[in-house]
Amino acid sequence: MITALLLGVVGFIGNCDYALGTSLIKNPIVLGPVVGLIMGDVTKGIEIGAFLELAFIGAQSIGAFVPPNVVVGGVLGTAFAISTGKGAEVAVTLAYPIALLASLLENLFMGVIFPLTGTWADRYAAEGNGRGVSMIHMGDGILASLCFGLIIVLGYVLGSGQVEGLVNSIPTVITDGLTIATGLLPAMGFAMLAQMTLNKKVIPFFFLGFLLSAYFGVPVLGIALLGVIAACLKINFGTEDQLVTDGGDDDDF
Amino acid sequence: MMTSNNGVITKKDLRKMFWRSLPMEFSWHYERQMHMGFEYMMVPALKKIYKDDPEKYKDALKRHLEFFNTSMYFTPFIGGIVMSMEEMNATQEAFDTASISSMKVALMGPLAGIGDSVFFGTIRILAIGVGTSLALQGNILGTLLFLLIFNIPAFAVRYLGAMKGYELGANYLSKIQKSGLMDKFMLAASIVGVMVIGGMTMELVVASTPISIGSGESAVGIQSILDGIMPGMLSLIVMGVYYWLLKKKVNVIVILIATALFGILCAWLGILAA
Repeated sequence: MITALLLGVVGFIGNCDYALGTSLIKNPIVLGPVVGLIMGDVTKGIEIGAFLELAFIGAQSIGAFVPPNVVVGGVLGTAFAISTGKGAEVAVTLAYPIALLASLLENLFMGVIFPLTGTWADRYAAEGNGRGVSMIHMGDGILASLCFGLIIVLGYVLGSGQVEGLVNSIPTVITDGLTIATGLLPAMGFAMLAQMTLNKKVIPFFFLGFLLSAYFGVPVLGIALLGVIAACLKINFGTEDQLVTDGGDDDDF
Repeated sequence: MMTSNNGVITKKDLRKMFWRSLPMEFSWHYERQMHMGFEYMMVPALKKIYKDDPEKYKDALKRHLEFFNTSMYFTPFIGGIVMSMEEMNATQEAFDTASISSMKVALMGPLAGIGDSVFFGTIRILAIGVGTSLALQGNILGTLLFLLIFNIPAFAVRYLGAMKGYELGANYLSKIQKSGLMDKFMLAASIVGVMVIGGMTMELVVASTPISIGSGESAVGIQSILDGIMPGMLSLIVMGVYYWLLKKKVNVIVILIATALFGILCAWLGILAA
């Protein structure tokens, strides 16, 4: 039980990587040795952590499974590998359903709950309460980290089979539906931005950017560079010949 | 002195912004992504800049809760530039605040591209290569080297970005301002900005349909027909619908919940693919 709690703490800290500058402390190569320490075999923890690290970038194949949540998959994968004494492949297969549960929960946070708390932040902003916004921001992250820590504790105590049953009992319509929603939601963010920045003068350039990406597959950096050129063509930056401009510069073609 | 627009921002404020940039992704979500993280980074500076003007302070808080997403290692750089613009806004009546949003958008797309390829594509891979080669033999130095190789450049870019971004904004933008080119410059920024929004709508919004007409060998997927007309058509439509709903002042909470329910409905009916 104590082992499970300690692993949960490691998971909590691991997810708090996002509060510490996304400095990659959540990666298996970093959490592995800590898990090893808890399980009583640091060297093994380092080795398995490194192995999982390679699996996550795709440089090492582990069966068919790369766990979907790096923190939960990494911590439990390493822990199971040491506790069962079997190879990393078996350990990751054991950790997989639990990491899957974590990633379903992650979709719920990032697709529904955090966007909703974002509207609370809007309300604080309208009241001029900067501290309130800050608290929601940090509160969101801490809540998610706690949940991932808890999943690790439960997963380690209950074991893989139980969690697999739980995951299977969630209707796929719900999980697929959330995945679809997370695909659509960025459009809402862009629509909000567009409300602020789009006006009649620049609306064609919105479509230009879209079409460059849609038909030519130009990456965003390329679109921005082309945007600079478009801006130069549209706007006359010269100061000396200001008398002749304003309208005259578009007639060259 | 590093500033030329009589600002209140000092090196200390920039250092504070640097530290507060670290939890940038803590509340990341699909809709507005890093928006609360960006606000968190900016709050103390905004409070200082607008300490005598609560209305402008509220506006600034609202402004920075808009969609934001870029490579997190470049966020202090953008924050520095934004800070210098907020300072101008505090002292000038005619300042167009939409230009601040445009500037953010114009910068975030390109810096996301550069940041991801430099930090995740190059430095991280280097760190993993060096780190795992030692760690696979059970050597803890591997872990340490992994962290150092990645984080020394990451923290340096963040710190220098905060300083240089503000300097750039304070010196260069105020020069543009004095020469009377600010309107043109801001129009340019918004052109680049909306083009980037257009490109990101195509790249980041995911919507495709698994429906097909006919059966067996002769089945034709609707998605491939749509792609034949215009790739990403569904993404554009989705964005248009959201734009329209927001314009109609439909409550954001309602839209968010409706999106989740709509996703489930589409999964149930098999209209959209997960």
